[in-house]
Amino acid sequence: MESSILESIGVEIIGVMSPVSICMFLVVLLVYALSPSNPLSSSSSAPIRTAANLVYLESPTDSTSQKLEGALLNALVFVILIALVTFLLVLLYYYNFTNFLKNYMRFSAFFVLATMGGSIFLSIIQHFSIPIDSITCFLLLFNFTVVGVLSMFAAGMPIFLRQAFMVSLGIIVAAWFTKLPEWTTWVLLVALALYDLVAVLAPGGPLKLLVELASTRDEELPALVYEARPTMPRNGEHHGSSLGLLVAGVSDSGSVELQAVSRGNVNPNGSDNRGNSDYSVIEIDSSVNEGSGSNRDEGQRLLLVDKTLGRQSTSSDSSEGSSVIVHSDMTRQFGSGASEIVVDEEMSPLVQMTGSGNVREQLRRDATEMFSRGIKLGLGDFIFYSVLVGRAAMYDLMTVYACYLAIISGLGCTLILLSVCHRALPALPISIALGVIFYFLTRLLMEPFVVGTATNLLMF
Amino acid sequence: MTVAAGIGYALLALGPSLSLFISVISKKPFLVLTVLSSTLLWLVSLIMLSGLWRAFLPLNSSTWWPYGLLIFTSVLFQEGIRILFWKVYKKLEDTLDSFADRVSKPRLYLTDKMQIALAGGLGHGVAHAVFFCLSLLTPAFGPGTFFVDRCSKIPFFLLSAIIALAFVTIHTFSMVIAFNGYAEGNKVDQIFVPSVHLVAGMVTLVNFASGGCIIGIPLLYFMAMLTLLHCGKMVWRRLMENQQRQANM
Repeated sequence: MESSILESIGVEIIGVMSPVSICMFLVVLLVYALSPSNPLSSSSSAPIRTAANLVYLESPTDSTSQKLEGALLNALVFVILIALVTFLLVLLYYYNFTNFLKNYMRFSAFFVLATMGGSIFLSIIQHFSIPIDSITCFLLLFNFTVVGVLSMFAAGMPIFLRQAFMVSLGIIVAAWFTKLPEWTTWVLLVALALYDLVAVLAPGGPLKLLVELASTRDEELPALVYEARPTMPRNGEHHGSSLGLLVAGVSDSGSVELQAVSRGNVNPNGSDNRGNSDYSVIEIDSSVNEGSGSNRDEGQRLLLVDKTLGRQSTSSDSSEGSSVIVHSDMTRQFGSGASEIVVDEEMSPLVQMTGSGNVREQLRRDATEMFSRGIKLGLGDFIFYSVLVGRAAMYDLMTVYACYLAIISGLGCTLILLSVCHRALPALPISIALGVIFYFLTRLLMEPFVVGTATNLLMF
Repeated sequence: MTVAAGIGYALLALGPSLSLFISVISKKPFLVLTVLSSTLLWLVSLIMLSGLWRAFLPLNSSTWWPYGLLIFTSVLFQEGIRILFWKVYKKLEDTLDSFADRVSKPRLYLTDKMQIALAGGLGHGVAHAVFFCLSLLTPAFGPGTFFVDRCSKIPFFLLSAIIALAFVTIHTFSMVIAFNGYAEGNKVDQIFVPSVHLVAGMVTLVNFASGGCIIGIPLLYFMAMLTLLHCGKMVWRRLMENQQRQANM
């Protein structure tokens, strides 16, 4: 019996959706696991201060208008910061400071994994009282970080490892962002979605410039981008091993050598090969001017830290210190990685044949056409989807499910649009809008209804 | 221990659908997408329903007829959604077939169509279990449990998990029956599905009486079994017919 088309349609969509789902699921677990300890600790320690709430520090006693105003200001400042950093990045990229950017990315990924990841591991260890000594813990953390940075930026690593570390980076940052106060989070999410829309679609938008620049130079984007590599259609016969929803890209992890070879066959100037040669060049370069690179790196970081420190006149809490640094890394990430789905331009001509604009038709055509390329999703999308879901998890499980479904369907819509438009699209706006709408609908309308009927043991 | 209990309740409600998902659905990405969209559709229908009923909530919990009305309208609404789902699916099937012709692959088999129907039903069922059972389970992970007055022998979480399991079964397999009924133009099947759904909803009204859950839950499981048997018989018949037709060709 010949394999039916059901097995081949939508592989790519699932390939993007499953890591996003895993990311969100783990963030929700993290939020749940760590929240029981929070009421005790948060009452004693001041709320964290990052660049996302520079202007206004929310306290539960403030009035609604005060909170709204403060949250709006916070979001505005944050978006402006991100926009500035993104423009800086575009400028640097335009003037070919590529090595600097790459080193900076490595450094900041290292920093995020080490400090934020470390503090999250610490709180997990404390919460579950895991007996571990500090030296072992430090060694483990160091190994985790180094392997993470290597796998994210070096070629020749198994793609699975790379994807796993991308997702874990997303989880770590998202878990940090869920510590923001409630109003600020919501306003910030909406503001970022709007910013994303402008930055990717407007004529002078920084992300649009960046993507265009990268595609004219035929280089990879200097950003943290999750690649859902296409699983090779092996002579039209889909491999029998289950491409489980729950295991992202596991089918990719089979063997590295085989993968590299087969990919080389399919698209000779594929990103792998290019990345490989690219990397060797960079290696030489970076060994030559490593010092200057990291200096500049440091400089920019310090500049940001100064900016943050200048605005904040609070005591030098240890957590505060780290959060500031964290933020300076954050802006870079969002600025660069943030939120677009980048389409490789080498597309099969299948799309040109489209006649009617039926959405379903587009969907399946989209699915087959996507075999020939990978979908890329900015790490910022992972983070902010997870932030939304994590924030929803602080209210109830019901809102979590609703938000999850809304975000995933928004992502699906974006992917369908992607197959229609053939250009980089912002992935945040649709998903965030749907997520926010569903959150409030669920919270205000559905919960009393469902709780009211279910506690009377009535179901339908 | 309480975490174990919470996971146990969740698996009780969703275990069968989980195994169905892993064994059948997860291998075919298109079916996963079907499950997701059907879940979303059910969620949207639930939100619309709750929007309609929001003004009248909370209902007086001593009288039962407002709840009867609520269940009646909800079932009607959801059956309407099912017909909508069928219409969309019909279009999808045509496009899928023409697409299969173009890439010179075989058209959808009968089993494929049934699997799509199953995935749609599973989406509905999972959404039901998630919103009516799983989302109330949060306290079950903490210490202590919760009893309702009307059924004071069994913990509320266990009860809701058991009821949710029955409804997951009904939703999942009645979608297969319904799609088949629509495809064949079989009036019996077309009426069978809404009536099973309605009766199952009404049976939960028995829980309203004190101690009613002793009677209500077996009745509910009777309905679930009925759906399951009917679905099994129907699928068997179709497969046999299909085999014969292929043998004749």
